[in-house]
Amino acid sequence: MQLDLKTIEALAPDQASLGAAAKLTKRSNWPRLETHEQLGLIWGECQGSGSNPYRVMFDTADHGYKCTCPSRKFPCKHILALMWIGVTAPTTFDRVDQTPDWVNDWIGRRRKPGQQPAQPGTEGKSIDDALQPQESPAPVEDAAAAERREAAQRKRAEDTRSAVSAALDELDQWIADQLRLGLSGFVDASSERCRRIAARLVDLKAAALAGRIDELPSRLLALRNEERPDAAIRELGKLVLLAKAWRAAPDDPELKRLVSTSETREQVLAHPDAIQVESDWEVLGEKIETRRDGLVSHATWLLDLKSPTPHFALLLDFFPASAGRRSNAFAPGDRFKARLVFYPSRSPLRALVAERFGDVASGAWPEAGVNTAADPLAAYAAFQDGAPWLSDCPLVLPPGTIQLDERDAAWWQGANGPQGIALPVAGTVNQTVLGLDLTATAALWNGARLELLASQSSIGRLDLS
Amino acid sequence: MNELEQAGLARLRDGWISGGAVFELAPAEWKTVAAAATPDEQERRLLAIAAQALDVALRPAAPRTLKRRPPLPVLALPLLPDRLRPLLRAALKHAADARRKAQVVKLVASRGFVAHPMDWMPATSDQTAPDVYAPWIDWQANSEGQRHGSLDKLTVENWTDFYPAARRVALASMRWSEPAAARLLIELKAPAESADVRLSLVELIRIGLGPADASFLKSLATDRSGKVRELAGRMLAMLGEKGDGGPDLPVNELAGFIEEGKAGFIRRRITYNPAKTKSHAQEQRRAELFELCNLVDLAARFGVSESDFITGWQFGTDNNADILLSRMVAASGSDAVVAHMADMLMAAGGKPALFVLHLMPRLDGRRQRVLIRQIIKDAQFPAALHLAHDIDAGWLDWDDVSNGRFLAVFRSGISANDDPTRRAVEDIAETIGCLATAPAAAKFIDETVAAGLPPASPSLALLRLNAALAENQSVQ
Repeated sequence: MQLDLKTIEALAPDQASLGAAAKLTKRSNWPRLETHEQLGLIWGECQGSGSNPYRVMFDTADHGYKCTCPSRKFPCKHILALMWIGVTAPTTFDRVDQTPDWVNDWIGRRRKPGQQPAQPGTEGKSIDDALQPQESPAPVEDAAAAERREAAQRKRAEDTRSAVSAALDELDQWIADQLRLGLSGFVDASSERCRRIAARLVDLKAAALAGRIDELPSRLLALRNEERPDAAIRELGKLVLLAKAWRAAPDDPELKRLVSTSETREQVLAHPDAIQVESDWEVLGEKIETRRDGLVSHATWLLDLKSPTPHFALLLDFFPASAGRRSNAFAPGDRFKARLVFYPSRSPLRALVAERFGDVASGAWPEAGVNTAADPLAAYAAFQDGAPWLSDCPLVLPPGTIQLDERDAAWWQGANGPQGIALPVAGTVNQTVLGLDLTATAALWNGARLELLASQSSIGRLDLS
Repeated sequence: MNELEQAGLARLRDGWISGGAVFELAPAEWKTVAAAATPDEQERRLLAIAAQALDVALRPAAPRTLKRRPPLPVLALPLLPDRLRPLLRAALKHAADARRKAQVVKLVASRGFVAHPMDWMPATSDQTAPDVYAPWIDWQANSEGQRHGSLDKLTVENWTDFYPAARRVALASMRWSEPAAARLLIELKAPAESADVRLSLVELIRIGLGPADASFLKSLATDRSGKVRELAGRMLAMLGEKGDGGPDLPVNELAGFIEEGKAGFIRRRITYNPAKTKSHAQEQRRAELFELCNLVDLAARFGVSESDFITGWQFGTDNNADILLSRMVAASGSDAVVAHMADMLMAAGGKPALFVLHLMPRLDGRRQRVLIRQIIKDAQFPAALHLAHDIDAGWLDWDDVSNGRFLAVFRSGISANDDPTRRAVEDIAETIGCLATAPAAAKFIDETVAAGLPPASPSLALLRLNAALAENQSVQ
C-alpha cells in the first residue's frame, strides 16, 4: 500500500479532521472493512449518527476517495479514518475478490488522472447490463444549431477579449498615475490602491491579473522599508510587460492564463502543445498562501530526478480558505514516478499529474540536477528572457552555506569563498541549518529574495519550506 | 549594465519615488526605446526597462561580513533512519513537556540512534538530554563560532577549551573513574564560574559521593550562592554529617510536627507519627520544613539513626507527610538509608510501595526495575507509573506486562467513559512506550487496540516508535 501516516497527515484538511478521524479508527465503528488487493482498493462502511452507515472508498494507487457523508471537508474524517486503519491495521480488512456495486459505481464514474472520460458502453457495465437493450444514440444536433452555438462562443470570446483589453487600458493608466503621484505614496497606500484597480479588473474579466495585483501589497510588506520602492518598480514594470505581451498575442495560452482565466484540466490534457514528461519526481516543498480574495493557493514544487539539467514542475491548486486546509497527496521529500503534463508556456513549470505509477526510493539528488554553472543565477536570467513578466524562478544552487548578517538576516553564501555570490533568504531559517554545509539547495528566486525549499547536506535531505 | 545606465537608473528611481515625469533623466539608449510614444507610455516603457534591470542586471549587495556558525558537531551515534523520522516526530509532538520529550530521545538513544537535528534539538539549558547530545547543546550555546581545541581529557589547562555541556559530561565520566581528580578540578575551577554553573558542577559530586568529598563540601558552607550551600549541606547529610546543632534550627520546629510513640506488646519499638495539622498554614509550614531540613539532622533530633527513624515512621497515617518524608530521604538520605527505605516499602507492597517512586532517581537500576515490575503486577495504582522519573528505557518484557492484573485493569480503563480515567490510560501507554522492549511494545499496541483504543490514537505514538526501532538496533 502506497500510504503512510505522513501522507494521511498531508491529506487531512485540518487538525480537527485528524482528531475526529482518530476517534473513528475503532474497529467497532466499521461493520464492514474490505480490500481488493489487485485493484489497490480499500472500502468500508462507517456507522455514523444516521440509520445507514456511510460508504467510504479509497484508491491506494492514486489516493482517490469517495464518501457518502455530507461533510464539506475533503477528505472527510471517514476517509481519513479508513486510510488510517489501512496503514496501522491492514489485517483488519477482509480480502475479497469482488467489489460491491457501490464501489463499482464509483470506479466507473471516476476518471483517474490521465484517463479519458469513460465512453458509454465500453466500461463500467456488468454482464446483466450488457444483455439489456442498447439505449438509442443521442439525437444528432442539426447543423444550424451547431452554427449558432459556435457563433455564440465566438461572440463571448470576442466580448471577453474586448473587456480584457479595456482592463489593460485601465491598468496602464493606473500605473502611469502611480508614477505621477510617486511610488513613496504608492508603497504607503498600496493596499487601498491595489484593491481598487483589482476590483475594476475583475469587472472587466481580467481576474487572474486582478489576483496578482491584489497580492502586491503583501509582497511589498514582506520586505524591509528601504527595499519596497525597488520592489514596486519591479512589480509594476512586470505588469507593463505582461499587458504589452497580451496585446501582441491575446490568444497565447500562457498570457491568457496570467491575465484572465486558466484552462481546465481537460483542456490542458488535450492541448497539442502541452509537454508531457514521464520521470521520477521529488517533492521539494510546498508554499501555501491565503490570498486576499479568500482563496488559498497551494503550490507544490517538484524536481525532475532524471533531467540532465535542473528541471522543475509546479503543481498549483486553489481552494476556498473557508474549506480548511486541503492538500494534494504529496509531502515534502516524497518521491514518485509519474507522467506530468505541463501547461503550455515559454518556460513550462505549472503541470498536472496525468498518471502516477508508484513510489521511488529516497536518496540524494542526482549530480546532474545541481546547477554547477559559474553563476547560480544564470538560470534566472534565462527564465526572465523567456517570460519577463514572471517572478518566482526555481533554482538548484551549488554547494554553499546559510550565514547571518549583522541584523541576523539569513543569506545563502556560495562555497566558492567570501568573494562568491551571496543571496538574501526570505524569512527566518531553522538555526540548525546554520551549522551545515549544504551540497545543493533548491529555492525560488524572485529577483530579491530566496525562498528555500529543500537542501541536500551531510546529514541528508533537509525540508526548508 | 554599465555605469551610465546604473546612474540613470538611480535617477529614474529617485524621480518615481517622489513622483512626476522622469523621461529626461533616463540613459540615452533607454530614451531611444521610449521616445516615440505619449508621455505616459514613455514612463511605462522606462518602468519596464528599469524593472528588468533591477531584476536581472543588478544583484543584491552582499554584506561585507557574514557570520558563519561552526559546523554542527557529528554525534557519537548515527542519525535515526529517514523512514523512522515521521514516527519520532509523532512521538515528540504528542509528548506534553520537555521531560516527556527527553524520554522519547532517551529511548531512541538506548537503541543506538540520535534524533535528526531538524526534528529535535536540545535547548541550551537542557540537562535531561542523553549525554550523547552534549556537543549539540554546546554548539547551540556558542553563537560566536569560535572553534575549541582537543577534547581528549579535561584538565585544568584545557578547562576553557570545553563548552559547559561537554565539560559536564567529561566531569561526570571522571567522577566514575577518578573521583578525586574530578573533585579537584571542580574545587579549582568552580569558584570562577557563575552560581548556576557552580551549582551544576557541585551537583556532579553526587556521582560516587564518598567521605573523601566531605572536606570540599564543608568548604562550600561559605559559598556566596544559597543554592550551592544548600546542595552541599544535602550531600554532607547523605554522608551522615550532621548540621550545626542549635535551638533555632528548623529541624526542631519540624520535630514538633512529629509525635514519638511506642508500639508492640512483646517487643516494644519506637514509632514516629506525623502529628495532625490544625490549619492549612501549618500544613504549608510543615512542607517547607521538610524541604529545608536534612534526614540525618531530623533523626539525630530524635536520637536515633537514619535507618531507625525510617523504620519507625508510620507510613499510611498521613499521605502528604509520607510524600514529604520520601522527598526528604531522596534529597538528603545516605545511599544506604535510601536503599533501606525502598526495600522496606517494596516489601510492604500496595500503596506504600508507590512512595518509592520519589526515591527513583537515587535508586540503582535493579531496584528501579523491581519497583516498576511490582507496580505493574499489583495493578492497584498503575497511573502512578507516570510519576516515575529517570528510569532506563527499553527493558520491560512482555512477561512483566502480562504478569498479574495489569492488562485487565488497563483494558477496563480504555472502555471507561470518564475523561480522567482515559487520560490515565493514555499516560500509562506512554510510559510503557518508553520502558518496554520492542517486542513488548508491539504486543502492547495489539492489546491496546484490541481493547478498543483507536489504532491511530496519538497515545500509541511512542509505542509505535519503540516497536519500529527493534529492527534498527545498532551496536553502541
